[in-house]
Amino acid sequence: MDLLIDSIQSALLLLVAWDPELLSIIRVSLQVSGISTLVASLFGVPAGFFIAHGNFRGKRLLLTLLNTLLALPTVVIGLLVYAFISRRGIFGPLDLLYTQTAMIIGQVILVTPLVTSLVLAAISRIDSRYRKTALTLGANDTQVAFVILREARFGICAAVIAAFGRVIAEIGISMMLGGNAKGFTRTMTTAMALEYDKGEFVLAVALGLTLMTIAFGLNMLFHFFQGRIKTDVV
Amino acid sequence: MLYELRDVIREHKGGKVLDLPHLEIEAGRIYALVGPNGAGKTTLLNILAFLDRPTAGEIYFQGAQINDSKQPLLSLRRRVVMVDQYPILFTGPVWKNVEFGLKVRGAARQERIDRVREVLALVGMAGFYDAEAERLSGGETKRVALAMALAVRPEVLLCDEPSANVDEENQEKIIQILDRMNREHNTSIIFSTHYLEQGRRLAHAGLVLKHGRLSERKDEDKYCL
Repeated sequence: MDLLIDSIQSALLLLVAWDPELLSIIRVSLQVSGISTLVASLFGVPAGFFIAHGNFRGKRLLLTLLNTLLALPTVVIGLLVYAFISRRGIFGPLDLLYTQTAMIIGQVILVTPLVTSLVLAAISRIDSRYRKTALTLGANDTQVAFVILREARFGICAAVIAAFGRVIAEIGISMMLGGNAKGFTRTMTTAMALEYDKGEFVLAVALGLTLMTIAFGLNMLFHFFQGRIKTDVV
Repeated sequence: MLYELRDVIREHKGGKVLDLPHLEIEAGRIYALVGPNGAGKTTLLNILAFLDRPTAGEIYFQGAQINDSKQPLLSLRRRVVMVDQYPILFTGPVWKNVEFGLKVRGAARQERIDRVREVLALVGMAGFYDAEAERLSGGETKRVALAMALAVRPEVLLCDEPSANVDEENQEKIIQILDRMNREHNTSIIFSTHYLEQGRRLAHAGLVLKHGRLSERKDEDKYCL
């Protein structure tokens, strides 16, 4: 118990003192997770929209595939991407392994299905009368799409926040594809694992507190948007 | 002739919900579409609004046959507007809802502002310009929905049960607005209703639907179900 209390006290001092190493790790984490979430959203939001509105053959199969991808373990993604970008892989010459780009690729694969699935659910909840109203008032397909996306905006925001929460807390991809290089690919989760291995709990606890604070903030935002969705439905 | 429907059939889940061998609707008049629940009134209005297509048959609008290609449908929808029985407003202020149809048509900002004020005054909702749409009552929502349709000055206005679920005061206002639109702008109006009295008061002609078929057409004030 003393160990934990001492670690928390020292961790708080590190945080208050804006320790450079701690800040560097937080910066890398936010940068990689932020870009991953952005890229995944660029794919996932339109994909969710088109799947929700499209009537095409194989839609049910696609939904099953999407749900399966939601359960994809990070280590499997890590292995898969590794096979492509390692020296022997077809993208080996690009020298991507152990870079932030590699981590971003892996994380995009991890959360694009999540964004797609949550956006699909958000769009599906939108009242069909919005589409009908926009159409009868003379909107073209693009304008109708914007109306629906606008009405689903809180659900879409919640999807993006959930995706960010997922990537910032993952460790498998970051460790396997990033390599935990100090100042470059060391994220909060990989640093915590390293510090734990070294028996150094102070930095690990400080990072844990930071991660929990970010997670708490994200959850607050998530619930705010979920609340807005419910209010809109009521 | 505004509309001509030939052998129009609309099927849903294997059953015929609409079966109209021949129907003609003249321009510049007000038609009441009367019939019990499930008679096919909304289905017919959706087809006339180019929001739904028949399973079989031909539709002529102002003499031209309608095909399914997208661009003509879009231009037709910009001339014919339908107000739903249970209209829904976009989230945001009332003025933004009312200007929607004008905005998608690329109308200039000042024109949009002027038209929004004009139609809100017409439907008696001028004081709700900045009001949040989600805070409006059922009757107010109906009147704003009507304003959204009127803002684009449609050639044809289709109203599904315009006075259903609204109080008598709002019913009266809606009837007056439709009558005025027809008289002042020569807007062709087709509205569905359960209220025979309302049909008699407002419409020049009645279309009686029963089980998806045109039961009989009564001109002037002769209605029966």
